Amino acid sequence: AQEYTIRATANSNEQDEDYDGLIVFKNFVEQASNGAIEVELFIGTQLCSNGAECLQGVADGSIDVFVTTSGGAAGIFPYVQVFDLPYLMRSDRVAEAVLTDTDFTRTLRDLALESSGDAIRIMTIGNTGGWRNFANTQKTVATPADLEGMKMRTVVADLPQELVKVLGASPTPIPWPELFTSLQTGVVDGTKNGITDIMNMKFPDAGLQYLTLDGHAYMAAIWVMNNEKFMSMPEDMRRVVVNGFAELQQATFASPKRKSISAYEEFAAAGGEVYVPTPEEKQAFQDAVQPVYQWFSENVDQGDEVLQALRDAVAQVEEEIDADIAADLE
Amino acid sequence: MLVWFLPVFLVLLIVGLPVFFALLFAPGALLWLNGQERDLALLYRNLYNGMDSFPLMALPFFLLAGEIMNRGGITERLVSFAQAFMGHLRGGLAQVNILSSILFAGLSGSAVADTSALGSTLIPAMEKQGYTRRFAAAITAASSVIGPIIPPSGIMIIYAYVMGQSVAALFLAGIVPGLLVGVGLMLTVRALADRYDLPKAERIVERDATIAPVEYWVSFALLRLNVAGVLYMLSWLLPAGWGEGGLAVYLGLLVPAHFALVWYRGRVSRDFRIVCKKAVAPLQTPIIILGGILIGVFTPTEAAAIAVAYALIVSFGVLRVMRVADLADVLRRSAIASATVLLLVGAAVSFKTVVSLSHAPEIMADFILSLSENPLILLFLINVLLFIVGMFLDAGPAIIILGPILGPVFTGLGVDPVHFAIIMSVNLTVGLATPPMGLVLFVASSVSGERVETISKAILPFLAVEVLVIFLITYFPAISMTIPRLAGFAN
Amino acid sequence: MGLVRGLLVPLELWNRWALALGRGLALVALAIMVIVILAQVFFRYVLNNALPWPDEAARFLMLWMTGLAAPTAFRRGGFVAIDTVQRLMPRRVADVLVLVLLALSLCVLAVGIQLGWNHVNSGWLFNSSSLRVPLDLVGGETVRVKLAWMYMSVWIGMVLLTVVAVELILRQIVRIGGEADTLSPLAPGDLPEAE
Ligand code: NA
Ligand code: NA
Repeated sequence: AQEYTIRATANSNEQDEDYDGLIVFKNFVEQASNGAIEVELFIGTQLCSNGAECLQGVADGSIDVFVTTSGGAAGIFPYVQVFDLPYLMRSDRVAEAVLTDTDFTRTLRDLALESSGDAIRIMTIGNTGGWRNFANTQKTVATPADLEGMKMRTVVADLPQELVKVLGASPTPIPWPELFTSLQTGVVDGTKNGITDIMNMKFPDAGLQYLTLDGHAYMAAIWVMNNEKFMSMPEDMRRVVVNGFAELQQATFASPKRKSISAYEEFAAAGGEVYVPTPEEKQAFQDAVQPVYQWFSENVDQGDEVLQALRDAVAQVEEEIDADIAADLE
Repeated sequence: MLVWFLPVFLVLLIVGLPVFFALLFAPGALLWLNGQERDLALLYRNLYNGMDSFPLMALPFFLLAGEIMNRGGITERLVSFAQAFMGHLRGGLAQVNILSSILFAGLSGSAVADTSALGSTLIPAMEKQGYTRRFAAAITAASSVIGPIIPPSGIMIIYAYVMGQSVAALFLAGIVPGLLVGVGLMLTVRALADRYDLPKAERIVERDATIAPVEYWVSFALLRLNVAGVLYMLSWLLPAGWGEGGLAVYLGLLVPAHFALVWYRGRVSRDFRIVCKKAVAPLQTPIIILGGILIGVFTPTEAAAIAVAYALIVSFGVLRVMRVADLADVLRRSAIASATVLLLVGAAVSFKTVVSLSHAPEIMADFILSLSENPLILLFLINVLLFIVGMFLDAGPAIIILGPILGPVFTGLGVDPVHFAIIMSVNLTVGLATPPMGLVLFVASSVSGERVETISKAILPFLAVEVLVIFLITYFPAISMTIPRLAGFAN
Repeated sequence: MGLVRGLLVPLELWNRWALALGRGLALVALAIMVIVILAQVFFRYVLNNALPWPDEAARFLMLWMTGLAAPTAFRRGGFVAIDTVQRLMPRRVADVLVLVLLALSLCVLAVGIQLGWNHVNSGWLFNSSSLRVPLDLVGGETVRVKLAWMYMSVWIGMVLLTVVAVELILRQIVRIGGEADTLSPLAPGDLPEAE
C-alpha cells in the first residue's frame, strides 16, 4: 500500500533531460518499493519558478525533490559554482566518473547540509544539456581574442560574469525569455549555452550562427531532497530512493548525448557553423581563464576547499581512465 | 476536496471580498481543511515570488509614465489633436473620444487610466454638446479597452511574465488588433449617429492657439528627425549599396525631410498646424518605446524607465505645466496603484499554485480536448469561456490563472503562442468593460456620475462590435501576426 | 461602543502616521527604481560595461514599495472588489456582510504574518546573487545581502495591512452601532489607477 508521497519538481519541460531522469526515477522507485512510495511530478514552474524559490520549498518541506543548475543554487550553496569553472574536466567520461566513482558528491552533500541547517540534501549530480559553449551572431570565434568586445549574455551570477570578463568580452545579464529578442536586435552578441537549449529557443532564427565547441562548463544537474523527508523513511525505503537517484543519474548522462545529435543537425541546417578549436586554440582559452580560478578561491565561501576536492577527484579518475584506455589499446 | 476552492472563490468574489483576499482565502482554507498545512507555506512563498520579477517592473514604470504625462498636460493636447482631425464628423466628439483613446494607448498601458484621464475631459464636453451622459460614459469605457491592446500594455506584460513569452513580440502583435477595435467603434458610432441623433459639430480647431518657443522648436526638430527616420528606413528598400551609409545618410535625409514638411505646412491652416505641433512631443513616446525595443536598445522594462524619463523631460522641460510638488504626488499615486496590481499578481500566482496541486490543469486540458479536436471549434469555446471569466475576474489574475492551463493546450494544437496570447489578452481586456465586474465601468461611473447599470446598458452595441473584432482576431491570425513576423519576432 | 471607540483612537493615529511614512518611503523607492534602471541602460550602452546589480536592486525596491504602499490602498478602499451584491441588499444586512468579509481578510492576514515570519527566517540562509554592502569602503569587508532583507518587505506589508484591517473592523462595528457620522473620513478619495 502507498505510504509515502514524494513530490518532485523541475523547472523545465517534458523535452528536457530532467524529465527523462524523473520518469526513470518515478518508475524505478514506485516499482522497487512495491507501491509504498508514490512519486508525484510537477514539471515546469507550477510550484516555484527558479532555483532560489524552489530550494526554499525544499528547505521548508513543501517540495521534496528538485533539480537545480549550479547557477540556480549559487545563492545558498555558492561553492557548487565550481562546475561553472572552465576546462576542469576534459570529457563526459571524466565528468561522469568524478560524479559516480569518487567522493566528490558526498563532499558537496556534507557542505550543503551544513549551509542549509540540515534541511537540503544533495542526492546525486547528473547532467542537463551537455556542455556550455560560446555562440554568437557575429563571427567565428577561434581564440579568446575573437571574443574581445562582444556583449555576451550571462545569468545574474558572479562567476559566469567574471569568466566572460577575463576573456575580454562584456557580460550582460538578460532574462532567459528576452534572450531571443536581445540576440536578434543586438542587445547582446552572444550567449553561452548547451546546444539543446539553443535549438529549443530557436536562437539561429535570431541570428545566432557561430558556435565554438570550447566546452567551457559541464552543465551539472544537482538533485536535492528535503533531508527530513529522506531521513524519516525507514532504511529499506531510503535504499530504494538512493538507487532510484542512481538510475536517474545514468538516464541524465545518456539523454543529452542522444538529443544533441539532432540539435547539431538542426543547427547546421539553419545555417549555423560549428567550430572545433585546435588543441593550441584550446590551450589559449585555458591560459586566458587562469584568473578565474584565483577569483573563485578568493571570493566564494569554501571555494578553495571545493575546487581542491574537484581537482583531486579529477586527477584520480584521469589516472584510472588513462590506465584503462592504455589497457584497452593493447 | 481540493477542487472545491474554485466555487468557494467565486462565491467570496461575488459577495464582495476583495479579489486579493479571495485569491488567498479560498485555496488556503481548503488546504487547511485538507490537512495540507505544509502547502500553506507554498501559498505564501508564491505570493512573494509572484511579485519578485524584473519583467513585471515594466508595470509600475508604464503606470508612472502615464501619470506624469497626464499631469503634465499631455492628455489635453492629444484631445485637441484628435478634435482637429475628427471633430467635424457626425457624432464628432464621440469619434474624438475613440481617436484620443487610440493615441493615448500609445502612451499608457492601462484601460483604467484611459477612462479616468480622457473621461474627465471628454464626458463633460460631450454633455455640453448635447450627448446623453450615459452615451458619453459608455463610449469612453468602450474605447478605453484599446489602451492595453495597443502597446505598451500592462496585461501583455503580465501574460509574457507568466507564460515566458517575449514582451516585445506581444507588444507588436497588439498594434493592428487595437486599431481594429478603434475602427470598429468608429464605424458603429457612424452607424448609430442617425438613430441616436448624435450632434454634428464644426471642425473644432482651437482658435488662435499659441505655442511656447521651446515647444515650437522641439516639435520642429522632432518632426524632421522622424520624417528623416522614415525616409531612412525606406532607403533600405533601394538596391544594395544605396541604403548603407549609416549616420551620414540619415543626416543627409534631414534636408528632404525639411522641405517635405515645409511643403505640407503651406497646405494647412495656422491653427491646425499649431494644434498638431503641440501633439508632437507627447506622440513621440510610443515611437521611443517601440523603436527602442525593436532596434534593441533596451528591454521592455528598460523602455518603460526611458518612457518615465522622457515624460519627465517633456513635462518639465517642454510643456512646463508640472511642478516639482506635483512629482511627489504623482510618484505616490503610482506607488499605491502599482502596489495593488503587484499584490494581485502575487496572489494570483499563489492561487495558481494550488490549481496545479489539485491537478486541475491536466483535468481541464483533457476535458477541453474531449470536447473537440478541431482548433477552430475549441477557439470559439475559449472565446466564450474567456468572455464569461472576464465578466467576473480582473484581466491580470485571469491571465495568471488560466494562461498556463489554456496556453499549452492550444499551442499543442498548432496555434502560435503569440497569436494565442493576443486572443486571450484582447478577450479579457474587453472583459474590463463588461458588467458586472468590469473595472472600467466602475471608473466611468465615478468619473461621469452615471450609474454603472445605466452605462452597462448603453455600452451593449459597442461590446457587440468588440466581440466581433475578437472573432476576427481569433480566426484570422494574420491580423495579429503580420507585424511581429515582419519584424522577425515570431515565426 | 465606548470601548470600541477607545480602541479606534490609537489605531487611527498609528495608521495615519505609519502609512504616511510608508507612502513617503514607497515613493522614494519608486523614484530610485527608475534611476537604477536608467543607470543600467547608461552603463550598458554608453559605457559598454553592464552592471551586475541593478536588476536585483530594482526588484528589492519594488517589493518594499509594494509592502509599504499597499496598506494605504487597502485603507482607502482601493482593493478591487465587486460591490454589486452588497448594494442590492438591505443596508443592515450589507453592513454585517462587510464585517464578515473584513473578518475573513483579517484571517488571511493573520495566517500570512505567521507564514511570512518563517519565510523571512529562511531567507537568512540565502545570499542575494548580486547585492552587497560595500563595507570595504570604510575598511571592513564587503558583506553579501541576505535575501531575508527582501523577504521582510512583504511581511512588513502583512503587518501593516493587519493593523488596517483591525481599524476597518472597529469602524464597521461603530457603523453597525448606528454612529457612522462620528467616524472621521479615511483619506482623500483618490482611487488608484491600475490596469
Ligand atoms: Na497601450
Ligand atoms: Na475614449
